[in-house]
Amino acid sequence: MIGPMLERVTPDTRRIAYAVAAAGAILAAGAIVHPGFASWTSLRAMIIVASFIGFVAAGQMLVVLVGGIDLSMPWVLNGAAIVVTTTSLGRTDRLGQAVLAALAVGAAVGLANGLGVAWLGVPAVVMTLGMNGVMEGLSLGLSKGLTCPSCASYVPDPLHRLVVGRLGPVPTELLVWAGVALFVTVLLTFTTFGRRVYAVGTNPRAAFLAGVPVRLVTVVLYTLSGVFAAFAGIALVSYGGQPSLGLGDPYLFESIAAVVVGGVSILGGRGHYAGVVAGSVTLVAIVTLLQAQRVPEYGRDVIYGLVILAILFTYGRERADD
Amino acid sequence: MPKVIGYAVLAATFTAYLVVYTTSLGHLPTSFDYLSLLNTALPLVLVAAGQSLVVLTGGIDLSVGGMVGLGVAIMAATSGGGLAASLGWIAVVLAAGLLCGTANGLIVAKGRIAPILTTLATLSVYSGLALKVLPVPGGSVAPEVRAVLTNPDLPTALLWLGLVVAGWLVLRRTRFGMRVYAVGSDETAARAVGVPAARVKVAVYALSGLCSALAAVFYVATTTSGDPNAGTSYILTSIAAVVVGGVAFSGGRGSALGAIAGALSLTLVVDVLFFAGIDPLYQSLFQGLFLVVAVLLGGATLRLRRAAS
Amino acid sequence: MATLERTDAVRAEGVDRAFGGVQALRGASFAARPGEIHALAGENGAGKSTMIKVLCGLVRPDRGEVSVDGRLAAAFQELSLMPDLTVAENLLLQRPPRGRSGLVARRRLVPEAAALLERFGAEGIPAGAEARALSVAQRQVVELVRALAAEPRVLILDEPTAALAEQQVAWLSAHMRRLRDDGCCVVFTSHRWREIEALADRVTIFRNGTHVTTRERLGETEAVRLMSGRTIAGTYPDITAIRKGPTALCVKNLDGVSFDLQEGEILGIGGLAGQGQRELFLTLFGARKATTGEVALAGKPVTIRHPRHAIRAGIGIAYVPEDRKAEGLLLPLSIRDNLALATLDRRATLGFVRRGAEARAVRDIIERLSVRLRSAGQPVGTLSGGNQQKVLMGRWLLTDARVLLLYDVTRGVDAATKHDFYVLVAELAARGMAVLLYSSETEEIAHLCHRVLVLREGRVTAELAGPVGDAERIVAAAISDKEAGSA
Repeated sequence: MIGPMLERVTPDTRRIAYAVAAAGAILAAGAIVHPGFASWTSLRAMIIVASFIGFVAAGQMLVVLVGGIDLSMPWVLNGAAIVVTTTSLGRTDRLGQAVLAALAVGAAVGLANGLGVAWLGVPAVVMTLGMNGVMEGLSLGLSKGLTCPSCASYVPDPLHRLVVGRLGPVPTELLVWAGVALFVTVLLTFTTFGRRVYAVGTNPRAAFLAGVPVRLVTVVLYTLSGVFAAFAGIALVSYGGQPSLGLGDPYLFESIAAVVVGGVSILGGRGHYAGVVAGSVTLVAIVTLLQAQRVPEYGRDVIYGLVILAILFTYGRERADD
Repeated sequence: MPKVIGYAVLAATFTAYLVVYTTSLGHLPTSFDYLSLLNTALPLVLVAAGQSLVVLTGGIDLSVGGMVGLGVAIMAATSGGGLAASLGWIAVVLAAGLLCGTANGLIVAKGRIAPILTTLATLSVYSGLALKVLPVPGGSVAPEVRAVLTNPDLPTALLWLGLVVAGWLVLRRTRFGMRVYAVGSDETAARAVGVPAARVKVAVYALSGLCSALAAVFYVATTTSGDPNAGTSYILTSIAAVVVGGVAFSGGRGSALGAIAGALSLTLVVDVLFFAGIDPLYQSLFQGLFLVVAVLLGGATLRLRRAAS
Repeated sequence: MATLERTDAVRAEGVDRAFGGVQALRGASFAARPGEIHALAGENGAGKSTMIKVLCGLVRPDRGEVSVDGRLAAAFQELSLMPDLTVAENLLLQRPPRGRSGLVARRRLVPEAAALLERFGAEGIPAGAEARALSVAQRQVVELVRALAAEPRVLILDEPTAALAEQQVAWLSAHMRRLRDDGCCVVFTSHRWREIEALADRVTIFRNGTHVTTRERLGETEAVRLMSGRTIAGTYPDITAIRKGPTALCVKNLDGVSFDLQEGEILGIGGLAGQGQRELFLTLFGARKATTGEVALAGKPVTIRHPRHAIRAGIGIAYVPEDRKAEGLLLPLSIRDNLALATLDRRATLGFVRRGAEARAVRDIIERLSVRLRSAGQPVGTLSGGNQQKVLMGRWLLTDARVLLLYDVTRGVDAATKHDFYVLVAELAARGMAVLLYSSETEEIAHLCHRVLVLREGRVTAELAGPVGDAERIVAAAISDKEAGSA
């Protein structure tokens, strides 16, 4: 019954289906071993944490789709978080310019990454790793190791309320995430730009010979990736109230994991944000479940790694021949 | 020539080191300076050498962080038993590294999961094991071990560095060494002429694990204590060293010697920045720029060479 | 020595093999004896290459038995040299020279490889050079030497002559015959029937992933019928009746090349391989920078620095590359995406694709070219080779191009698909399309072009009025000029 049905769906929808099934399976398993795990309160908390991964993973997915990678996420995120508080100084009237400044930082780093990769031919790993170092140095240096006078500021209250608040039973953060998901999905599926992204990711030479401006597409994607990393930084600092150093460190590997667990091919050309959303939820659900079961930290790491391996074995394998 | 880019970068960094050291202290570096530099550099040299083998086959090993951490944890948690016991535990550390690396290789080669994803997942597993062995930083190291491995007064570090280099030169001159390049250059083509590509891949990941374990031993001997998270910093720096050393990410081009030169350069840069009076907070900024510029220069020389021929 | 139960040197029986959703082999059998040259022929996608890989153990069959008697060596169609390794390392990878220490004697690699190349009559190739620096023909020769040097009992060659010049084909044939006479079993595939007739003791025909027949003698017409399952009338369409219009493309001193191309004209670019034909095509299309020269389309001067400039409405140059898979189609993407890619902006509002308009355009072009498919959403890689070719042509027809650049489009394509393609080109020309055509098979240029320019080292050295009809005349022009130039 399921076999012939899967035959008819495209490989793309199948990948999304796998990712959603993985998230569902983890949530179901959690609900069985830990009553209350799948309650709305618990889910709400998970959604907020998952959304941060979802934001960085949105950027990571965009560059992975063209066979690239963005290792500059951690300090773009951290830098943006610092910029938001030091620019706003906690004042609501400076909120707009603070958010814009943080996003601009992300866009600038992303643009630099894109130009380095597309025009100077620096491998993505090197370029983005280097820019991560540059952002780390700038964040630490300019904020004097987060000891500068304005570094003690908090994030403006409306931002905090946006992340932790609720609209009826629905967390406002979920609406923000839905907006991001809508943006990425529309961009990739309904625009000429999206079509070109998949073409470049599948075969850059063939795309070029079909008139696709490959370099331009690449630069735009890296820029967007920087913007999304900054966006995640804003969200994270709004959640916690104040930035800390190393805030972005976990999000490099989390973003890559969410992308591949979400069914995006690391080789480029395949994948959709719907899968990545499921991937982000899966990752958070695993950690939350392990915490709820009082598994010690070492066990959480081990099991987390093994579960990701198991998921990769199920649908993340490369093709055998060709 | 990109093959020599690693050595060119090393020469440039070393010159810069001599200049800033002499101008700030008024005399040339002493042998003590060189030895402590080498002692500091050895763990990264080892991890980078292992990483370069993997990158030569077109892969990447992110789990070096976990494997170094696990090795450090075992060493630190079992110290204090005297020389014989220490040697025994060193053997255990090396075996653990080999085992972890082999697991990576098997998953990549037989499981057909992309290297970056495989090692991302096993990084988490190995880091967890390290935490299990040594939940909090601590431990110590037997003084005899320290005297043999990283003696600050005797040039033991030079000997070990020599051994690593010699090990690579021998490896390069085996059929396995040739096969590493063959697989990295074009795996399908290599398989077509009968190269057992899967076995080659398993072997390079196993060797990378062994190198990480050795790095852990030297790390504990230098710092004389252990931290289960000690390996984390080696993930990105080993990749940086490999890149600065002129090893191509696409595989098949470069050498472990370049990566070793890259590792030494990266270690030197820290001292250069220190003696140049750069605020340590800005250290990463210059390291990041150093990485990008080194690779840009490598790319530029390659293009010049292609244009000339 | 005539025994009735002569054992086969290689044998495959009842082999099934699928890639993704595509069944490459179904119940396929193949057998070849020691001491014979055995040709394996069939259309593209008939399963020849897969069968070869199965015989070599590179692809595991889903079902079926394979046996090989004795040492096997092979050389492949998609060249299997490692580009970063030197010629010497490529040749000696599996049996490197060793010093007294037992380690590989790296200094002896190049001299030993050079000696090996000389022994097999290929001394012109530098043993110390990286494989990536060699020409395609040189790489093919190195690959063949590697296979020959293994002293195999079974030698398998997949399209060994596709990249070779006449002279090198003779060289290879001599080696194949020598091995055959020594009792070796030689299996090869080829799209050139003349070679099969000249070389093969027996021929096996494959169609749709299965064995059709194995015979000692087979005429070309009969072979084509067996391979395609249909009879093909007259190989080349008549182009003499096509009426030419005004000048469509005027090229002045473009890196040293000048010519005019009229609407409805098919202009052939001939010459030996690698004499700047590819560069000329890529430059015209904006995929390569020109150092000098001007291009005018329908009388208007244009600058083309990127393929998207060439595609732009009002200019309309289309380029169909030789390697459909590497440079043309995006195999995992849908037929719709592939067709629409070059003209996305023409059916978009503010960057959003107008899906209705797109669906109509795609449906029209599919009907016009009669592409056989299940749905336009199906990955283009699941189509047959001929239908893939149509999709690629369809993408360019959607651009309303007035100038069509066809670069060796029929390379490695079977007879039936080729024929369909010739008919399509003639039809397009008759509708006023200006066509520039290069082919590694000079026959095509001789029969399909109104005029032929012979290129040597990037310059036009001869012009022949067409249809030339006789390929030898083009070859003669290319060679005689070469001699005159070097004298």
